[in-house]
Amino acid sequence: MDHCAARAGMGMLAFALLTPLSGCRAAQGGSSMTAQSTMNLPAESAAGAVPLGQLAGAPAETATSLSIANPYEHNPQAIQAGRQLYLQMNCAGCHAYNGKGNMGPDLTDTYWRYGGLPVQIYNTIHDGRPQGMPAWKRALPPDEIWKLVAYIQSLGGTVSVSNYEHARQGDRPGDLIAPEAQAEAQP
Amino acid sequence: MGRSASTEECRRRSRGLEGSFFRTSHSCLRVEYLSSLFDRFHSKVLFACCGLLMVMSSSCKRSEAPIPVNRPYETGNASFTGATLNSAPNDPPGEWRSQAHDYANTRYSTLDQINTGNVGKLRIAWTFSNGTLGGQEAAPLVVDNTMYVVTPFPDELYALDLTLPGEPIKWVFKPNPSPIAKGKACCGPVTRGVAYANGKLIYNLLDDHTVAVDAKTGKEVWRIKMGNVETGETMTMAPFVVGNKVLVGDSGGEMGVWGWIAALDVDSGKELWRAYSTGSDSQVRIGNDFKPFYDHMKGKDLGIGSWPAGAWKHGAGSVWGWISYDPQLNLIYYGTSNPSPRVPDQRPGDNLWTSTIFARNPDTGMARWAYQTTPHDRWDYDAVNEDILMDLRVDGQLRKVMVHFDRNAYGYTIDRATGEVLKAAPFTYQNWSSGFDMKTGIPTVNPDKEPHPNVKLVNVCPPDIGGKDWQPSAASPRTGLVYAAVFNMCMDVTDNDVSYIPSSPFDGMDMKRYPAPGGNLGEFIAWNPVTGKKVWGVKEVYLTMSGVLATAGDVVFYGTTDGWFRGVDARSGRVLWSQKLGSGIIGQPITYLGPDHRQYIAIYAGVGGAATVHVDKEAVKGFDFPAGGNSLYVFSIDGDSMSNGQSQLGGMDSISKKSPQSGTSEKQ
Repeated sequence: MDHCAARAGMGMLAFALLTPLSGCRAAQGGSSMTAQSTMNLPAESAAGAVPLGQLAGAPAETATSLSIANPYEHNPQAIQAGRQLYLQMNCAGCHAYNGKGNMGPDLTDTYWRYGGLPVQIYNTIHDGRPQGMPAWKRALPPDEIWKLVAYIQSLGGTVSVSNYEHARQGDRPGDLIAPEAQAEAQP
Repeated sequence: MGRSASTEECRRRSRGLEGSFFRTSHSCLRVEYLSSLFDRFHSKVLFACCGLLMVMSSSCKRSEAPIPVNRPYETGNASFTGATLNSAPNDPPGEWRSQAHDYANTRYSTLDQINTGNVGKLRIAWTFSNGTLGGQEAAPLVVDNTMYVVTPFPDELYALDLTLPGEPIKWVFKPNPSPIAKGKACCGPVTRGVAYANGKLIYNLLDDHTVAVDAKTGKEVWRIKMGNVETGETMTMAPFVVGNKVLVGDSGGEMGVWGWIAALDVDSGKELWRAYSTGSDSQVRIGNDFKPFYDHMKGKDLGIGSWPAGAWKHGAGSVWGWISYDPQLNLIYYGTSNPSPRVPDQRPGDNLWTSTIFARNPDTGMARWAYQTTPHDRWDYDAVNEDILMDLRVDGQLRKVMVHFDRNAYGYTIDRATGEVLKAAPFTYQNWSSGFDMKTGIPTVNPDKEPHPNVKLVNVCPPDIGGKDWQPSAASPRTGLVYAAVFNMCMDVTDNDVSYIPSSPFDGMDMKRYPAPGGNLGEFIAWNPVTGKKVWGVKEVYLTMSGVLATAGDVVFYGTTDGWFRGVDARSGRVLWSQKLGSGIIGQPITYLGPDHRQYIAIYAGVGGAATVHVDKEAVKGFDFPAGGNSLYVFSIDGDSMSNGQSQLGGMDSISKKSPQSGTSEKQ
């Protein structure tokens, strides 16, 4: 419950469209598949507004779109549906049945060329990437892409949304920070 | 003047370095093709060696003192099998103009300066780094004292000037292929090399373009688009030249491509014919001349009829391995890949013409015969491995044969005129087949080892990469044996039903691979193609996935994926020399004569490709795969070359003369 509350707080803070209550219910496995598919998803335009690289000359707050949470994170049914999609859409052919990579990169670690936050993984699946990753935006509705993201998050790698501000600079929660680097991080 | 006498003198000098190259007579026929270069060097080296620099005196002395040569191979040199090679026309003996060195794919060199008596003194003479990461699978070429090396994606081509100290870059060609290709290649963004013809270097880019580059200038001559990389089709094989035609094929056995081989005009790049591996007889280029030896390959449009409706369209049979050629029979030989998807229950039938060896007329592309090594392949046993052309006696009768180590772990000796299997015997551990039916030419399948969807099958041997993968073997006419780096592996496998989605894999195999009984992943073997028996083997803890070089010095060379490069006695199998390199070896060793008449051995170190894709780290205790690399290593006896040691000062001289504006040592 603690975890759910924390996520709800994050959701409210970061993204108004996400209804924290439904997110928690889903995480507890209480909703049917039908209910899940009508779950409030992040607006497509919000995910689409997340830049692939850093914003040149932009203030730090513009990065908050990175904090878009996955409504299906920790939802066992959604994770199971995501696993099915992972097999049906031939993701396993490149990233391996255990997700540890083959033709395509390892999805179970914390190295992500195009970002390991949920919305970044969503965008990678949605838009594709230049070195062979196809864009699934025509083949899969947003709901199914978020379930795929939930499955990938369940593999133990990725980057936690609570670390969204620092993930791009390679910071991990709990790391030491030199005072000078701390000062630089202040606005 | 006796032509043969001067040739013999040349040979003797060349072998034992009894005369340094600047003292060798111009009339040496053996080195005729080097003569213009020789002239260029003559004055330079005399100048450097015996001129102003007093330190050169030791160098002069070395040139005069013959390297002691011990040639135990010259006694007891009988062939084990009497098999001979049908290799003509060869590359010039001191050069390496095609990946396999000859039409017969022997990878055999007549050079013997380096031999069983002195191979222990091989040392690194020079190295070259190409700056890419990815499996370094291609053999370098040596043509007219220039070495050509091609990199994995982005498929850059370097020309190195062997006549100048330090082997400087003459030019680099950067084709800039589409980055999409990098993610579509099942087994790393590799290339298996370049072909040389009519002053052009011809090779395949990973993004389905074949390109020809002027060997002198490094400028592009032509480029042709052969496929659409967005479908998952790529090109990784080394082109093969027959006359004025260059033969190329596609990759993508795990991507549901429609496999093919095509002939292009060497000078224009124009496509002359294309033969698909599945589909109608006209698409496969099967006509009245087609005479398969075995009954199950006889019939109309079997490339459609041996599949469920429409499945042949994405049935693969890609052509990503080696091609050989018999000029007398005027036939080319090559194999096709596994069928797609890799879930056999989704494609009942023989799935012709996948996992099949073809013989075709190179002028027309029409098929003469075919032999399917693994009908209805269930394990990913491609038939793309090399076909070595040999002539040997079977049951007292001289036969023109090909020797083929298949992924399915059978070593075949096949009549190359008819496609009849003369011998078929496992060359490494396998349990998928309980025997071989010589009447039908089909291995008997062990039903316990047939995968089905959602059923975990344990201990299936060999695994998907086979008893041996694409890494080419070599043959020696001196021993009559064939030498191969093979695997000793098994897998647990679970099939998963898959759908064809363009751009994504059409695969379905979930595997874990581990060593077969014995615990070693690799072995280097000598094989008797007459009896179908292993003569000896050198077991390796790690995977052996390198090409093999056989030489007239009776030393055979291979490498391991943990980075050992070895020279082995071709008769006894004794390891005579080993050198640990900076990365694992999956390249193909070659040998050549430098402008200094020294014999060199060259090999790339840089593990990648299927070697990294397919080995589970947990499979071997303490297994820690080496990082990728990109260094070419060139070896000579004692590491001597005209650019090492004191004589590199001559290099400054050469370079300043080559480009005076950049040199600081204009005046000596």
